[in-house]
Amino acid sequence: MRRSWFLPIAASLGFAFLYAPIISLVVFSFNESRLVTVWSGFSTKWYGELFADPQMLGAAWLSLQVAAVSASIALVLGTLCAVALTRFRRFRGRTALAGMVSAPLVMPDVITGLSLLLLFVTMESLFGWPAGRGTLTIILAHSTFAMAYVTVVVQSRLADLDLSLEEAAMDLGAPPIRVFFDITLPIIAPALVSGWLLGFTLSLDDLVIASFVSGPGSSTLPMVIFSKIRLGVSPDVNALATIIIGVVALGVVAATVLQMRGRNGGRAKGARA
Amino acid sequence: MAKKPQIAAETRPWRDPSAKPFVKIRDVTKKFGDVQAVNHVSLDIYKGELFCLLGGSGSGKSTLLRMLAGFEAPTAGTIEIDGQDMTGVAPYNRPVNMMFQSYALFPHMSVKQNIAYGLKRDHLPKAEIGDRVAELLSLVKLQDYGKRRPHQLSGGQRQRVALARALAKRPKLLLLDEPLGALDKKLREETQFELVKIQETLGVTFIVVTHDQEEAMSLATRIGVMNQGEIAMIGEPTEVYEFPNSRFVAGFIGSVNMFEGVVTEDEADHVRIRSAEAGCDIFVDHGVDCAPDQVLWYAIRPEKITLHRERPEGDANITRGMVEDIAYLGDMSVFQIMLGSGKRIRVTKANSLRGDPDGIKWDEEVYVQWNGGSGSVLTV
Amino acid sequence: MTGEALPLPHRRPWTKLERGLLAMGLSGKALVIFAPALWLTVFFLVPLAVVFGISLSIKQFGRPPYSDLLTVGEDGTVQLTLHLSNFLRLFSDNLYVSAYLNSIKVAAISTVLALFIAYPMAYFIARSSDRWRNILLMLVILPFWTSFLLRVYALSGFMRGNGVINNLLGVFGIEPLVMLQTDFAVYVGIVYTYLPFMILPLYTTLVKLDASLLEASADLGARPLRTFLTITLPLSAPGIIAGSMLVFIPAIGEFVIPSLLGGPGTLMIGRVLWDEFFSNTNWPRAAAVAIAMLVVVVVPIMLMQRAQSAVVERR
Repeated sequence: MRRSWFLPIAASLGFAFLYAPIISLVVFSFNESRLVTVWSGFSTKWYGELFADPQMLGAAWLSLQVAAVSASIALVLGTLCAVALTRFRRFRGRTALAGMVSAPLVMPDVITGLSLLLLFVTMESLFGWPAGRGTLTIILAHSTFAMAYVTVVVQSRLADLDLSLEEAAMDLGAPPIRVFFDITLPIIAPALVSGWLLGFTLSLDDLVIASFVSGPGSSTLPMVIFSKIRLGVSPDVNALATIIIGVVALGVVAATVLQMRGRNGGRAKGARA
Repeated sequence: MAKKPQIAAETRPWRDPSAKPFVKIRDVTKKFGDVQAVNHVSLDIYKGELFCLLGGSGSGKSTLLRMLAGFEAPTAGTIEIDGQDMTGVAPYNRPVNMMFQSYALFPHMSVKQNIAYGLKRDHLPKAEIGDRVAELLSLVKLQDYGKRRPHQLSGGQRQRVALARALAKRPKLLLLDEPLGALDKKLREETQFELVKIQETLGVTFIVVTHDQEEAMSLATRIGVMNQGEIAMIGEPTEVYEFPNSRFVAGFIGSVNMFEGVVTEDEADHVRIRSAEAGCDIFVDHGVDCAPDQVLWYAIRPEKITLHRERPEGDANITRGMVEDIAYLGDMSVFQIMLGSGKRIRVTKANSLRGDPDGIKWDEEVYVQWNGGSGSVLTV
Repeated sequence: MTGEALPLPHRRPWTKLERGLLAMGLSGKALVIFAPALWLTVFFLVPLAVVFGISLSIKQFGRPPYSDLLTVGEDGTVQLTLHLSNFLRLFSDNLYVSAYLNSIKVAAISTVLALFIAYPMAYFIARSSDRWRNILLMLVILPFWTSFLLRVYALSGFMRGNGVINNLLGVFGIEPLVMLQTDFAVYVGIVYTYLPFMILPLYTTLVKLDASLLEASADLGARPLRTFLTITLPLSAPGIIAGSMLVFIPAIGEFVIPSLLGGPGTLMIGRVLWDEFFSNTNWPRAAAVAIAMLVVVVVPIMLMQRAQSAVVERR
């Protein structure tokens, strides 16, 4: 490589920039003192405080549940949408559907959040349902925007799938639904898992939309964290951050290792994951 | 490879006016938007045939095949298989199976599961499925490969699994889309032989789509040459090769030398053509449907022409030229000869003598001759 | 596909149901399209219509805190009251106009900064060996999967008056810099959180770049910088546009970053909307801000999509 000094240095600086704050977070979660200035000794007391805080734990549990349900709903809807957009040739409203499902990807959170809240309020005054905002409304909102991401992931995998595999199944006597469950689904399964994980993470991480559509008593973890950090440094948040980073790091490393190993196993035509 | 006589090839049902065709394609047209992929094609295929649809890309052969399989619906026209009208019948309800060009083996299933898939769709009892799968594995000589996955097989093995899978349900009609395209030359020759043998043994009607004319010639009982969505010619391999009905067919199959000329004599038992391109008169030893002064073409194949140092006897079908290039291919030599008129022709000669010292060399002036009955007169 | 099936040759549990549905004109295909379409219409389109409707209302005490558009009088008359005051205020009040302009400015600058930082990284990863490439990509993606909120928090901790950077500078005897509550912090924040979104599309385009093109250019006498400017850069245009889209557009409406890292002077439209809604409880005004924001955002989206298709067509 010609410019062999520039690129590695620039890249390393970039990576350092990306990771330095995170690493400092992790380091100071073990700091005895509350301050981010002085290292006063190793301590896990903030972790203890974290686990003793009912508000945090309750919010965490709520967030996990909401994320799991929303991701699942988003997976079903997103997959249906992806199938419609890739496998069905032309149908009325195709461009409308494609537009509607990709808009949440670029629309600012505040607009999505506001619009959904106003919808729920209007629906409540017209039909009496949903009665007040809470877990249900958060799930509905999260499913909607997560669905957009699932569609993108599944759509790109479906587009790569060799059509002749599905045709071969039909030729051998399988009607379209059978083809989907016997052939399509097993082959795109890794994309479905990615889609679910993506929806789960986005839901878990969402602050703005949840703030708009949640109700009393249904505070999600990001909402609780936000109110804490608005006021300043909060070391138990550091502890939480470290835990989350640890779990995520493990997951991502595991996924990468699996993917690298899978690639060496060889691939037949029409099967890429 | 010498082709063994086949069942349909022996009985030749297409020559029998009272024979009932197994597949009736009637005036079928397929349009994709403005593009006409298949244009008013009518075709009869008989039971037990190994019929080849031969054509270049864009000829419509694959579209026609897909319509037979049910993946496309004709814009107009009908397709009948074994007396049943297939209009509106979905692919999973047809007595037809297809072997795909990419083999389309299900990557997440083993060889056995792939082959069994079609049988499972028919809800056959497990034991019966097992027996049938074993039967097919031994037919394609892959008995020990049942548990393997497609990515663990070689290209030739995958092809055999695809064939076994397509034959599992004992279809009345088997469609093959470029079955030998992905194989290397040696494997292709072996597999051609295997394919014909299997077809003979089982008596299944095969329709093969290919762009490789050698493949078509060696496999087929009859060939249907397609060009731009239409059938250019249907016939047995000998007919298509020796008696092409148009310049397109003559040029498409094998190589050919084409001379343009004007009819000078048009009689019931012979035709004489004056050709400036050939630089001589062309004498055809049979009557041709044409008129005096008509412009037409004469096609003569490279292997039908002989080269001489001295002028042979005769007043037609003899011309002069210079040897521009000789390509030595081992089993034969290809001579490129420039005639006096400036036209280049191809002449092939089998190398029946090893290292012939007296053989024709580069830059020699030679006389070129052919027999009056060896060429074809083409009016289109 | 050639349409409906013939009489099914064998029984399946849902045969009767399927035939019934088909008779009613519903097919499996219709349901597949219908389910997500219905959901999106209800939870995406209708809400936008509701926002538009409420933007034409005015703030009023009560639940909900805005006036009704349609009122039915006692004598059976129906009155439609539309207030344009919210939209007029958007233009007349300097707050909104400057917030919009500032948002665009901040988003644009951040996008350019992100591009400059991301490009060498993406290029480096694309040119690495297979094994390293996977590891580096993993390192890029990992922050993306961790909480966005926590990363901004981490950054704020880093940049505080008594944070890590200032501590480091203190070691060298440099006065602590004020980094938080400034525009600068917002730029850093946006670049920091959106960096993976810029790196990945760039990487995807760069990795597909045929190395032999660069070799051909060098062979024809071009120095590395020239090769980069004339060959690499133009060919990576799709990646640049895609990455910019993924950063610029969401950045315009950002709330969290200006809220945690910015000061009172860094007015961004996402924050304005939030304050209108939560602090002023002026829902109609917030709705009007949202509609205007949509308009502001739609234009760059269309421009970028046009740029994208133009680049694709040129190939």
